[in-house]
Amino acid sequence: MIGKEGRVTGRIGPGLVGEVMIAVRGGAEAFYAHPVDPRDEIGVGSIVVVVEYHPPRTVYVAPALAR
Amino acid sequence: MPVIAVAIGVVVAIIVLIVLFKMVWRVAEPNEALIISGLGAKSKPIDGVDSLGFKIITGKGTSVLPGFQTARRLRLDSRAANLEVNCVTQQGIPVKVRGVVIYKVGDDFVSIANAARRFLEQQNSMDGAIHELFTGHLRSIIGNLTVEDLILNRERLTSETRGSAADEMSKLGLVVDSLQIQEIDDETGYITNLGRPHAARVAAAARIAEAERNQEATEREQETERQNAAVIRDTEMKKAEYEGQVQQAAQQARQEVILKETRNAELEAERTEKRLESEIRKPADARAYEQVKLAEAEREERISYAQAAATEVQLKAQRESEAIRLIGEAEADATRRRGLAEAEAIKARAEALAENTDAVIAQQLAEQWPQIVEAGAGVFGNVDNMVVLNGAQGVEDMLAKALTLGGTGLGVARQLLAGMNTQSAPAGANGHNGAPAATVPVEIPKED
Repeated sequence: MIGKEGRVTGRIGPGLVGEVMIAVRGGAEAFYAHPVDPRDEIGVGSIVVVVEYHPPRTVYVAPALAR
Repeated sequence: MPVIAVAIGVVVAIIVLIVLFKMVWRVAEPNEALIISGLGAKSKPIDGVDSLGFKIITGKGTSVLPGFQTARRLRLDSRAANLEVNCVTQQGIPVKVRGVVIYKVGDDFVSIANAARRFLEQQNSMDGAIHELFTGHLRSIIGNLTVEDLILNRERLTSETRGSAADEMSKLGLVVDSLQIQEIDDETGYITNLGRPHAARVAAAARIAEAERNQEATEREQETERQNAAVIRDTEMKKAEYEGQVQQAAQQARQEVILKETRNAELEAERTEKRLESEIRKPADARAYEQVKLAEAEREERISYAQAAATEVQLKAQRESEAIRLIGEAEADATRRRGLAEAEAIKARAEALAENTDAVIAQQLAEQWPQIVEAGAGVFGNVDNMVVLNGAQGVEDMLAKALTLGGTGLGVARQLLAGMNTQSAPAGANGHNGAPAATVPVEIPKED
């Protein structure tokens, strides 16, 4: 899981539970997403990279593209 | 025989093998996970996490030792749970929400393990549990939202759903695919009232727009009518003008026709006149002329007649006078000559008589013979019917006899002459019926 890229489908930010779609096991599944940096706010449609994976369905992400 | 036995044995063996294989080999379908527990059914530790104590098989087959292991199927299908919640929104407005939550068992082994531990024996009652669980969650979700958000803000709803239910669902090994609010029953009429200003505004705008459009339409209609009227007026004017022109043209044409007709009539009259002139007047003139001429001619004629007559008369008179004169002269001359001739004749007769009396008488008789014969024939004139016998000879005889009667006349003549000689008067036998004439006039030639 770690290192995979995904697309934000639910806003990621402090105090929010975001959602990212990640291609995994031949399909695409939704994972609950939190920012690695708690101050980060990632809008819907951004590309993120999975930094941490917490089974079953939680990932910590960082923006994939340097801003 | 042994071959058949062998074949049968082989078939039986194959069948037995198939049956055994069927008993041993299990296949997990795409929408299910095989949970195998029992002897040797230990999955390897994943990522340093402790072993599950059972084996999870997805999407492939595996052998299950009968009696030593058990295989259970956990369905990974998505499921739907209907929700119906009476709750209060953030603004304290009571609403009745009906919705549906669509969830499934997570596809990762952790979720499958969690779900298997909780729901393997009660998969059918999962919906009920989820319903109960989500009713509470939905209440907390809606309590964090306003009615406007509920109606409009899907992202807020899903976000709140995740925030509220994510951890709990993860505990259960379930994933929420979707939460849908299907119906919001608003007892206070909040939503209705929420819409009313806008509705009123919209209605007002609609009415204003309608009125404006109506006004515009009316204006346009009136304008169009005015234009129409103007066009109609123009058309009528044009029509009238054209009609006038047409009438004028027609009048002109009629006038021309009348002119032509007049001309024709004139020509006709002229023609008639000419015809009349040629047929009647000319002949009449001609006749008149003729008559005039005739009259003139007649007059002339009469004049000339008269003149001629006058001339004639004159001439006649002249001639007559001349004639009278000439006659007179001639008569005088004749008289004179007659006198002379008579004198001579008398003298000659006297001489002849003196010389030859018989010859004279004979001559006289010869001269008077026709009368003598006539007188002789007159005897027969008194006869009605005379039958002559001996034909022509008889007639001759008779005539000879009659003439002999005349012969007697000679004797008579002699006697007469004898008697005359004494009276010295010429005698001419000229008697009817042999009657002796008393006097015999001497014939003298007449001059005329």
